[in-house]
Amino acid sequence: MGVLFDWKLVFSQIPDILRYLPTTVELTLVATFIGYAIGLLLALVKIHRVPVLRQLAAFFISIIRGTPILVQLYITYYGIPLTLKYINLIHGTNYNINSIPPVIFAIIALGLNQSAFDSEIIRAAIQSVDNGQLEAARALGMTGGQVLRRVILPQAVTVALPSLGNSLIGLIKGTSLAFTVAVIDMTAQGRILAGRNFRYFEAYCSLAIIYWVITIALEKLFKYLEKRFSVPEEAPAAEKKVAGLIRAFRASRNAAPRDGLKLPEPEENV
Amino acid sequence: MSYIEIRGLKKRFGDNVVLDGIDLDIEKGEVVAVIGPSGTGKSTLLRSLNLLETPEAGTFKIGGETYQLTTKKSAEKRALRQQTEMVFQQFNLFRNRNVLENVMEGLTTVKKLPKDEAGRRALTQLEKVDMLDRLHHYPRHLSGGQQQRVAIARALAMEPKLLLMDEPTSALDPELVGEVLVTIRKAAQEGNTCLLVTHEMNFVKSVASRIVFLENGKIVAQGTPREIFDNPQNERLKQFLNKINMLESMEYVI
Ligand SMILES: Nc1ncnc2c1ncn2[C@@H]1O[C@H](COP(=O)(O)OP(=O)(O)O)[C@@H](O)[C@H]1O
Ligand SMILES: [Mg+2]
Repeated sequence: MGVLFDWKLVFSQIPDILRYLPTTVELTLVATFIGYAIGLLLALVKIHRVPVLRQLAAFFISIIRGTPILVQLYITYYGIPLTLKYINLIHGTNYNINSIPPVIFAIIALGLNQSAFDSEIIRAAIQSVDNGQLEAARALGMTGGQVLRRVILPQAVTVALPSLGNSLIGLIKGTSLAFTVAVIDMTAQGRILAGRNFRYFEAYCSLAIIYWVITIALEKLFKYLEKRFSVPEEAPAAEKKVAGLIRAFRASRNAAPRDGLKLPEPEENV
Repeated sequence: MSYIEIRGLKKRFGDNVVLDGIDLDIEKGEVVAVIGPSGTGKSTLLRSLNLLETPEAGTFKIGGETYQLTTKKSAEKRALRQQTEMVFQQFNLFRNRNVLENVMEGLTTVKKLPKDEAGRRALTQLEKVDMLDRLHHYPRHLSGGQQQRVAIARALAMEPKLLLMDEPTSALDPELVGEVLVTIRKAAQEGNTCLLVTHEMNFVKSVASRIVFLENGKIVAQGTPREIFDNPQNERLKQFLNKINMLESMEYVI
């Protein structure tokens, strides 16, 4: 053994660990997508009080919240092959259990876990959009889907962004458990490197730095998105998108001025 | 045969019968004001016509089509809703959209107009409500009066056959009521058919072509402003007008 703490190694092995950043990113992105999609469904089931489904959703969320993510990973890892075996046995099919890449287990477990937590965030955000706007949208003749896409979701996203950001950061850190189901992500790679030179402490220090930097970057990203999506503090002077439209309209007005361009002042005391 | 015919409209909440068989005819270009005590079903009447409530019975003839107000089919509901537009007490503008976008929203999303055409129509309406200088403001940047004017433009841009307005000035500070009433008067003068709930009795007097007095789920009296205010025949109507200090006939002067 050389030095007690090889701080140079902490930094020099970072590129070697980062080779597995794509795996971590893939895990995170797909699990996030699953989390949002199923989370939205769960939220809608809860909001609309769909019978039966509502109880199932509550049961699912309760289980996910009430058990450690590590246990959920193992249950997926052992449970899915068991289920496939069972199906093979019953239906005489021949699904190959060993052909499932481990990353699938991690994605399913992490995605379902996210969906339970995100569903609450999404539900609260959706319900924060006041009913009056929904009535206005329906009165205009919008379909349910249009109300959701055009009115509810854009506003709910703004409300949910900070919490969804936290949830995503939690997920990135959660992916570090994927090694337990045989996925080689950054954490697994760190452990592999350490296994060769027994510099475990240095490996975890490298990992800590990487995750920390990623988290800070994500925090910044979400701050930016929040600002981007929320209604500005002050009214913007103009927008490029419709400038042409407005110019054309004003030009047509100047070309053919009509009376009634300006509203008459309230002439009487109504 | 009237332009608009409402027949047998019934709506209850639990045991509370709110609309007990409403029949109402409205001619094209008419401005009909609904008055009556609070909690008597004025809002429910308007909301039922737009299917924001689900009535138990009733038909609604408008623009040559007769609609069942009890329909469960969402396509039929949308078809009916596009015949009318609603102006709400609380404005209910889309908070994440600026003034221009608020007015364009129904045109592009529901009517599927191309953006240019929607923009032209929106600007035309916004000009009428005198909001052209606030196109990029969001609802939070506007006063209540300005928000309501935009809401009126949003409704009129859809070219409804009937404009429903439920206490459009009740949520406004007193000094902002005037500008909205001016806007409504203008919409009425331009020939928009309106069904309006309001407590602004002086406004009703000068703008409405007909007044409907609603009480306990029934139309108890109706007539021209003169018939209603100057020469009310119905006892209940007299009591109501007296309560809101709109009756100056001798028998109530102390
Ligand atoms: N969503 C609802 N659920 C139960 N009762 C309601 C609901 N909306 C209105 N009501 C009742 O219906 C009656 C009429 O209400 P409304 O139409 O708002 O009266 P108005 O507009 O004339 O003041 C009231 O008694 C009110 O309590
Ligand atoms: Mg009301």
